[in-house]
Amino acid sequence: MKQKDEQKQDKSLFVGIDLGTSRSSISAGNNTREWIESYVGWPKDFIAQQVVGKPVLFGGEALENRLSLDLCRPLERGIIKAGIEKSDEAVKEIIKYLIGLAKPGSDQKIHAVVGVPADSLKVNKLAIRSAVSDNVNSLMVVSEPFAVAYGMNLLNNALVIDIGAGTTDFCIMHGTIPSEEDQKTILTAGDYIDEQLFSYLSEKYPNSKFNKNMVRQFKEQFSFVRDVTEDMQVVIPVNGKPVMHDIKNEIRRACESILPALVETTTEMIARFDPEFQIRIKNNIVLAGGGSLIRGIAEYLQDALKEYGTCKVTCVSDPLFAGSDGALKLAQDMPEKYWEQL
Amino acid sequence: MMTGFFRKNEIKQKNDILRGVYEENLRIIGKGNARITRTRFFFLRKTFLTFLLAMSALLLHGLFSNTTLSPESQLTASIIPQNMPVLPVSATGEALPASSDYKAFINQGVSLSRVFGLRVKTIMIDAGHGGVDSGTIGKMGTKEKDISLDIAKRLKERLLRTGHYRVLMTREDDVAVALNNRVEMAKAARADLFISVHLNYIPSKPINIIETYYFGPTSDDKIRELAKQENAGSEYGLSDFKEMIGKIGETMKLQESREFAASIQKSLFANTSMHNGNVHDFGIKRAPFVVLLGVDVPAVLAEVSCLSNGQEEKELSTEGHRENIARYLEAGIMDYLNKGDFSHEAKR
Repeated sequence: MKQKDEQKQDKSLFVGIDLGTSRSSISAGNNTREWIESYVGWPKDFIAQQVVGKPVLFGGEALENRLSLDLCRPLERGIIKAGIEKSDEAVKEIIKYLIGLAKPGSDQKIHAVVGVPADSLKVNKLAIRSAVSDNVNSLMVVSEPFAVAYGMNLLNNALVIDIGAGTTDFCIMHGTIPSEEDQKTILTAGDYIDEQLFSYLSEKYPNSKFNKNMVRQFKEQFSFVRDVTEDMQVVIPVNGKPVMHDIKNEIRRACESILPALVETTTEMIARFDPEFQIRIKNNIVLAGGGSLIRGIAEYLQDALKEYGTCKVTCVSDPLFAGSDGALKLAQDMPEKYWEQL
Repeated sequence: MMTGFFRKNEIKQKNDILRGVYEENLRIIGKGNARITRTRFFFLRKTFLTFLLAMSALLLHGLFSNTTLSPESQLTASIIPQNMPVLPVSATGEALPASSDYKAFINQGVSLSRVFGLRVKTIMIDAGHGGVDSGTIGKMGTKEKDISLDIAKRLKERLLRTGHYRVLMTREDDVAVALNNRVEMAKAARADLFISVHLNYIPSKPINIIETYYFGPTSDDKIRELAKQENAGSEYGLSDFKEMIGKIGETMKLQESREFAASIQKSLFANTSMHNGNVHDFGIKRAPFVVLLGVDVPAVLAEVSCLSNGQEEKELSTEGHRENIARYLEAGIMDYLNKGDFSHEAKR
């Protein structure tokens, strides 16, 4: 049996991909794990191409050189952004690049499971399939929180909350593939925090010059809810001079802006579930995605839900790869006969 | 023993989940079994047939007894014949003594909103179905409720970008909203215009059709233009004119709804057929949809596409196609609002 599995692995490379609004990652059967920021950039003109030296740039490198590039972040609010051909093209490039990072053998067939924001599955599933399918031999598309749940073996009586950049996806697992009623998506997520933070900082420091990318970096460096003891000072130019700014209060306000919707939707999801199993679900809530890195968020949610009885909220240990690892596990567990049709 | 049982159960669970993922993906590429939870026989739903029969009886009664048009509450499920005389009704429902001049004026097909120089301030967009009510479901599993919501949101964005209107939606999420609540929302928001977005399903024919429903008679271009000039600058909104509507019966709503439907249908079909030669123009029609009849203002229900057509379902899964439909709807609305200055080609 083991020999047969190894043969299967040699002929095929199984990959799991988490196609996120902000970051995309790949986990492959050959133990490769890589991630990039979900940005793609094409040189604006011939001179720009000479400067950057490549026909297309990805992730951090694309962001660094953004002034020379037509920059595209193809997934907005969890769906392929209307733009329209460029966004499709950008998704194709991201997938191609990620698969290249997994270093498949030249004669290996690639079987991929791609996790996408849950809302994409409603109206964009075919578009995502067609964007991805050029670069793989067979493909399955699943929702991101489901991939996380499968990877962590949370198949029954669990609620996975994937706080991404564009969307926060909720998924209840109860021993079967989750139906639409078991999943819900809201738009208060990482990008929403960025918008709030940008607005608070603009209000407090009207003469300081910062952009949305800087604001996102501040959030990723300091994000927290409730209270922490550390100071939060950043350098922002004012009239060209670098000046220290205290942004602690604004960081907290921005991060806490997503909490009301998070608590409300969590209670709503639990309340819709079979009352006999609600206690079990409440004791098995898992936060995933970049938003799970906000300090104090699990504890906040746990306390907020206490009035409905005891509950336990934990965070995945590796939010960057939890989705792609789960998708890889799905790909590896999938019977071979299923791949033939897809 | 118990450990073995739980292990077996877990393996079975996993296998079921894997098969579920596989089957869902088969459906996406159109290889799965077609699963249609609810089909629509052409455009009429069974529930409305009941209304239709009941209200047709009322209507016939009205015709033979030579009475005025029924109050709105009674109109919510009837179909008015083209040639039916429309007479004013008092607030109490009692027929007003109609002067022959006034009657002639009404019957000339003047667009009353333009006669009175009324402006549209608030537009209510209604995304069909939602929540447990999926609407029609295509062979690849695409649900009408998701597509209609997506198109409605895009339409809202586009209209907001014009900066001229307050744009509201009856639902912005995947939730069930009762039809009467949609109507109440439009009334509470004092909406001046109401458009409901739906998708068709024709199991018997592999075609793609576009059709738009309304509730009202035609109008006359010349008189409308004259009245428009005479009343230019009026600050009244359509919803401000409720009392006047009461006095002149449902005339304005009927006229405007028909014109509105014609503009929407014209834009949808003309623009869609430029890219897709296989689309059929089923024109504008009257139907007793509750959402159309319940609101006081011009209201249409647009069947913007057809989910039973496999190629169309594939197209609908692309952003570009849905954005285009929203664009055509926007162009139709603009055509209706700026009658006479319309360019048939939808703007990007």
